[in-house]
Amino acid sequence: MAEVKVTTKTRRAAGTKREPKAPSADTARIAVVGIPASGKTTYFRFLSGHFGLNLPILYVPSREDGGNLPLFGDLDNDVALEETTYETTDPTDPEGSLETTTRYYVNRPMEDRRKLWVELSAGREDQGILTKYPLPTKFNQFVEMKMHFRYGAADEKTGSKPMELNTVDEAGGIIADYFSYDRLWIDSTEGEVTEKSCRVIPHFDSWRPDRRDLWRRGLTLLGRFVQEADAIILFLSPALASLRDQAQQINLARGVFRYTRTRDIPLVIAISKADKLKEFYSEVDRSVRERTFRSTFDPVDFLLRRDGAGMGTILVAQEGRGISIREDVFLVSSAVSTGEGHPLLVGEGGQEAPAIGTPTLGVPVMVNTTLPLARACERILERRATKGS
Amino acid sequence: MEEATAAAPPELKLRERNVLLLDLSKSMLAPLPDPQGARGERQKIEVARTAVFRILQDAASTGMPFGLVTFTENVRVPVPLGEVHRENLPYIENLLALLQPSGRSAVWDAIAVGADLLRVGVHGVRGNLVLVTDGWDNASTRFGVKTTPDETLKGGLTDLVPYILPAGSELSLRIVGIGSGMERDRGVDAGAMNACLDQLRARAAELGLAGAFGFQEVTTGTQLFTQMVQAFLDVGYEDDRPLEELHPEELAQHAASAARALKEPQQHATVSRLRAPRPTAGEADAVYMESPDLEVGVLPASGGAPAYLKERYGPLGEVIESYIGGQYSRALALLGEARSVLPPVTRLYWEARIQFAQRSVVEAARALLQAWTEAEKLPPASQASVLRRLALLQARMQNDKETETLVRFIDDTEHRLGGVDAGARERLMDLLARLMELRGTYQLTRLAGEGDLQDAALRHEAAVEDVFGRLQDARLEFASSGPVVEGALDFIEICLAEMR
Repeated sequence: MAEVKVTTKTRRAAGTKREPKAPSADTARIAVVGIPASGKTTYFRFLSGHFGLNLPILYVPSREDGGNLPLFGDLDNDVALEETTYETTDPTDPEGSLETTTRYYVNRPMEDRRKLWVELSAGREDQGILTKYPLPTKFNQFVEMKMHFRYGAADEKTGSKPMELNTVDEAGGIIADYFSYDRLWIDSTEGEVTEKSCRVIPHFDSWRPDRRDLWRRGLTLLGRFVQEADAIILFLSPALASLRDQAQQINLARGVFRYTRTRDIPLVIAISKADKLKEFYSEVDRSVRERTFRSTFDPVDFLLRRDGAGMGTILVAQEGRGISIREDVFLVSSAVSTGEGHPLLVGEGGQEAPAIGTPTLGVPVMVNTTLPLARACERILERRATKGS
Repeated sequence: MEEATAAAPPELKLRERNVLLLDLSKSMLAPLPDPQGARGERQKIEVARTAVFRILQDAASTGMPFGLVTFTENVRVPVPLGEVHRENLPYIENLLALLQPSGRSAVWDAIAVGADLLRVGVHGVRGNLVLVTDGWDNASTRFGVKTTPDETLKGGLTDLVPYILPAGSELSLRIVGIGSGMERDRGVDAGAMNACLDQLRARAAELGLAGAFGFQEVTTGTQLFTQMVQAFLDVGYEDDRPLEELHPEELAQHAASAARALKEPQQHATVSRLRAPRPTAGEADAVYMESPDLEVGVLPASGGAPAYLKERYGPLGEVIESYIGGQYSRALALLGEARSVLPPVTRLYWEARIQFAQRSVVEAARALLQAWTEAEKLPPASQASVLRRLALLQARMQNDKETETLVRFIDDTEHRLGGVDAGARERLMDLLARLMELRGTYQLTRLAGEGDLQDAALRHEAAVEDVFGRLQDARLEFASSGPVVEGALDFIEICLAEMR
């Protein structure tokens, strides 16, 4: 992102409830959820790069409309992405305060676009240095990410009401726990996840007290946050090497299905990091190399019949229960990698740019990233229209 | 003064309180004949101790209150009625080894003391008494038994029958009589024992009491073993590792492997032979049975043969000792000698296990096949665990790692849950049973055609959700119940995720 401004730093006494910002009646809120390393952060950063810097997006399969989706960044306010860090200053002090820090990412051209890639897609080890985020997730902090945009048109008059895409970042573990275990769910924006109900989380009692407390607070924050959500986008990564992570993701997915069904809110699924899937990558690669190639890749057939390790049966079971596999499930990739850590870059003319060697002005390739967001907006507006009528 | 309360008696199940009455009169030093000759004669006391050790170990693993009364002319209570803790077993066993037979037999006085241990205030005598004796009552000073209902007891003796069976009682008395009663001083006084039991039956009927009373006469060491060592004892495998020792990712790999055994019945046919580990309805309320359940135990693979093996398990212990020592031919020979003593399923299993160890695969498979047949005849309480031991061996013989992982997990969990409270055990076993049942709904999703697929998938997901909800409740209820419970819940949770 072009620039980072640290604008606020506030301290709050422990136990003081942070009043959630009341969402405007004119605002729709879409929550992005997924387990740790499912791609939430990358999604937010690259998508805001699309809104702020016009980063191109590739569609696989190809779209008849060329990908002209009516999504627009909130350029009026010059802010593409807002990240607020909540951190306990002294985890060992039960009376310790909760510190919040907000960073605003603004839309300005970068002097050297190559740095964009480094900034956005650095590995977890490097991100700590580059963005001051001490990753992997520290137990004493979590981050709220917020992206402002409109659907329909860029201006207030013809476009939709302001929309927000939110997630509690650095908190994939909290998200996974909250949705997996419905005994944790709260029913109002004033609700509180109790210490007792947290015992549904495996081995919770064996954790350090400060971690338990932060986790409970994080669950409460998340519970209130999704309570206000008008739609949910669920991120599922097909590239999890660990069986534990796979199990956590499946339990989360089943939980999100339960949640959206009982709350009656739209659900859209993004299969993130889709470039890791060989067949899909081949389509992306060919689309970049052959300018005339029009992909007819069938994601539904792929997900239900050929991705054996995936969610075929679970998706089939949910069909028609608040979700349509054909319309609400997308394969996305926020930053396509050629493998071995090299990004797939495209140059100014849209052709592939070499990733190494001579300096290049290539930008990372994003695939389908706007589709889940646009679909979520569509479903929110459909619902509002129906309710309104 | 307050009147005796007429409140309902406390919830005590017959099977939960056991007192063993062991005759230590001098005649117990006499040998018992062994008509087969191969094993030589054994002293009655040696055989009886074996039985006591086994019962004690059983009590320690199940947590059932247990008490021991020994008698000569004097009646003693070496082990008061209470929970037997595993760590105390060696001390109790040492104590028993020191008890040397001498003197005469005060049988009726001993039964009265045993009944006193089981007495629950105004609610009568409640529990099980097992009397092991080889003699005639010739030393009781307080109690006697009438030979006919109209007889008057002499010498100020109290009538034993109403004393041990007052109103409200729920008592079982099983008498194991050693030696033939045809001739005095050569064996148990079967006539007096049966007269006592007849009067107990009549009184129970008269008062409308629940109870069971039986007499079994044994004349050889083999018969005594058969009566008392109804055991299926197995030895773990070298690569056994308890769940809590696994790295979380290893645990996940095990769970995923076990889930494959549930998802692919064609490749894992052995799984279909397992019984759900859920307790059979009414089992908890079962009362005294003439044919006691088979005791099922598993020895750890490491550390060699335990010193108590022969002492506690007699001929079976000797077979296993040879097996652990790698003397397979000797083990097979001993197994042949113990043929008449061992339950058929135990013998056939061990034949298969030994044959497999010495690479005689065909013989092993044949014996195991017969063991499966015998296992089907077992009482439900011990059947499930025996079937799992057979399945484990079969999985190893077929190199079926998935089934092996699943069976090991269920078996290990059930075995180790013996130490936790009954509620947690029951809930976990129920969860395991429900997990096993997901095989059915999952199969429907594989077999369903295009049109029926969604229905099948929906049904399966609903079943998974149901189990997952129960799993969450178990987590809440049994949080901090220790690594065994938590490890089992983690395993089931990952298995559920894999059932997709």
